[in-house]
Amino acid sequence: MHNFFWVYDLPTETFAILMIAVFVGFYWAGLIFLRPILRQFVKNTRGANDIVGYVLSCFCVFYGLLLGLIAVTAYQNASETSAHVTHEAAALSALYEDVSRYPEPYGQNLRWILRDYTRYTIKYAWPLQRQGIVPVDGTIRVQAFQEKLLDFQPATPAQEILHAEALRQFNTFLEHRRMRLFSVNTAIPPVMWYVVILGALINIAMVWLFDMKFITHLLLGGLLSAYLGTMIFLIAAMDHPFRGEVAVTPEPFEALYKHMVEE
Amino acid sequence: MERHQSRGLTHRVSRRDFGRHASAAATLAAAQAFAPFLFVGCRPTGMPAGRQPIRVGLLHSQTGTMAISETSLRDVELFAFEQINASGGLLGRQIEAWGPDPKSRTDLYPKRARELIDWGAAALFGCWTSSSRKAVLPVIEEHDRLLFYPVQYEGNESSAHVVYGGLVPNQQILPVIDWLSSPAGGGLKKIFLLGSDYVFPRTANFVAKKYMAAKGMRPAGEMYLPLGHRDFAPVVNLIQASGADCVLSTVNGDSNIGLFNALAEARINPEKLPVMSTSIAEDELRNMLPEQVCGHLSVSCYFQSLPTEANRRWVDDFRHEFGHDRVTGDPLEPQWGLVHLWRQAVERAGSLDTEAIRGAMGEGLTFAGPGGLVQLDPKTQHCTRYFRVGRIRADRQFDIVHQSDAPITPDPYPQIAFPGWSCDWTKGGITRGPEVSIDGDI
Repeated sequence: MHNFFWVYDLPTETFAILMIAVFVGFYWAGLIFLRPILRQFVKNTRGANDIVGYVLSCFCVFYGLLLGLIAVTAYQNASETSAHVTHEAAALSALYEDVSRYPEPYGQNLRWILRDYTRYTIKYAWPLQRQGIVPVDGTIRVQAFQEKLLDFQPATPAQEILHAEALRQFNTFLEHRRMRLFSVNTAIPPVMWYVVILGALINIAMVWLFDMKFITHLLLGGLLSAYLGTMIFLIAAMDHPFRGEVAVTPEPFEALYKHMVEE
Repeated sequence: MERHQSRGLTHRVSRRDFGRHASAAATLAAAQAFAPFLFVGCRPTGMPAGRQPIRVGLLHSQTGTMAISETSLRDVELFAFEQINASGGLLGRQIEAWGPDPKSRTDLYPKRARELIDWGAAALFGCWTSSSRKAVLPVIEEHDRLLFYPVQYEGNESSAHVVYGGLVPNQQILPVIDWLSSPAGGGLKKIFLLGSDYVFPRTANFVAKKYMAAKGMRPAGEMYLPLGHRDFAPVVNLIQASGADCVLSTVNGDSNIGLFNALAEARINPEKLPVMSTSIAEDELRNMLPEQVCGHLSVSCYFQSLPTEANRRWVDDFRHEFGHDRVTGDPLEPQWGLVHLWRQAVERAGSLDTEAIRGAMGEGLTFAGPGGLVQLDPKTQHCTRYFRVGRIRADRQFDIVHQSDAPITPDPYPQIAFPGWSCDWTKGGITRGPEVSIDGDI
């Protein structure tokens, strides 16, 4: 599947048009070159169109269910990843506010590291995630923050409460960060894609078996293929939550960083 | 069919065999003939294949005791590379920077340097302490890479594989002694030399003592304490007892907090006993109480408060990018200049090859940085720099009280301390003089 990642570099409209064009083109090419051969199997069968129609309907129920479930899975993956990103940014924001109450220079040093982490996530981690690479340098920044956070020795009961809250918030942040990193390579398994593609081919092949006027065949089959291409485009666009234009963006981090540098 | 005589045996060579051998010979001959033309465009220039970005390595500790200083350097380097990328890149390619963490451990610096070179780094930017720089030297020399080192250091070193951006003693220690003993500096001639116990303070004070002796001065005292030492009360008593009228401090890191704390507790103010520090910049001041340090002095090539338009613009850009409470300072500005000098050298050489870059640097490069004009001296691969003295303000910034008339040419081997030693990389490198033994075990 890795060979097809270039499609995520295309604008969404181009990607959609390409998928539709591939499916319609394949259908039309098959109609011209393969249909005469395939028609041999049902040529002398009485009511062949009805039989093909029944089988196609039955097939489409199963195939439609499969596509629907996969589309939902892809959407859920993207949506969960987006939630992890939002929660990570929210936890980071809360942590930033907590450490801002620390006495100086601890507060300033801790704020600088969190700001650096946020900047790194936007400018360096995100482009890597878009390529399916798990960014590792954020870990160094997290370690630097943890080191400085644990350096702080609370001197008053109020500082003790604040420090405990900051540690709790730090753990929440770590959890969501880890989930974001796990999501970098989240995708529909290749075996599911094989079944989807095979199903699409069978679907198109069955339409070739119908006996009707060539122009009607071109038009009706073309429409069906175009919709198949659209469905598969939809799943592909939502698959790999950090790739392509329909991807999870660093917007929550960008908003947070703007607040951090402008305070 | 022809017959060949081979080792006394006669065997037949078929047309097919002949054709096979002839093809192989022709292929080899063609490969040999065309190889120089094919490879001249890539290998010798050191450029990565295809449209791959140019990789550079950042060698800075991001955790451990040095992190608070070195992460600012990493930030300024990343900022410089981002700006170069935004303006179209270098030789039409983007620059990709990577900085693994040496964790403030000297033994990890060479390991990380090796990792960066294996990753494909064309040049390395970084190090802070002299020990880390010295630890990295064998690796960069083995792999023929350049290290761009921004921090002031003790001199007595020059490597063809290092470009030094910070001050050396003839740009810092010697002028500061001149200034302190001049009427402008208060005519302070009883100088107490106080330092952390490692290579920079020991060597810097060695040079200082030689220079003071040549001027007919004697240090009021000399003392070294381990890095990280915090109890300076006995030291302050000793300084008072010595009758010193000023302290030239090469104390580094967190120890400065202890030093100024002890001075404040002994009710010693800057009017009574000014401390001239070589290692306190804006970043260090963040960790110190203003009421303890206000009025004391620092020597540097750059202060954030420098009132020039170029500096204001640079500081504004830096703060806009990293936050309005961030500060610039001495090693940040030199490193900014070093990145741009490297860019100029690569552009001029049209190559990433170390020898070609060194050749380009040999023609003399200049960069109008935020701290003023910087010129790379091809003889020493050090930079000409302004000498500046700043008085610490209550807002943790500096009032610049003195600045040299022009940038000072670097000399890593001041003759007053290292007679007979000199360096000229345009004419073969280092000329060695008699061995010089620096006081103390360093």
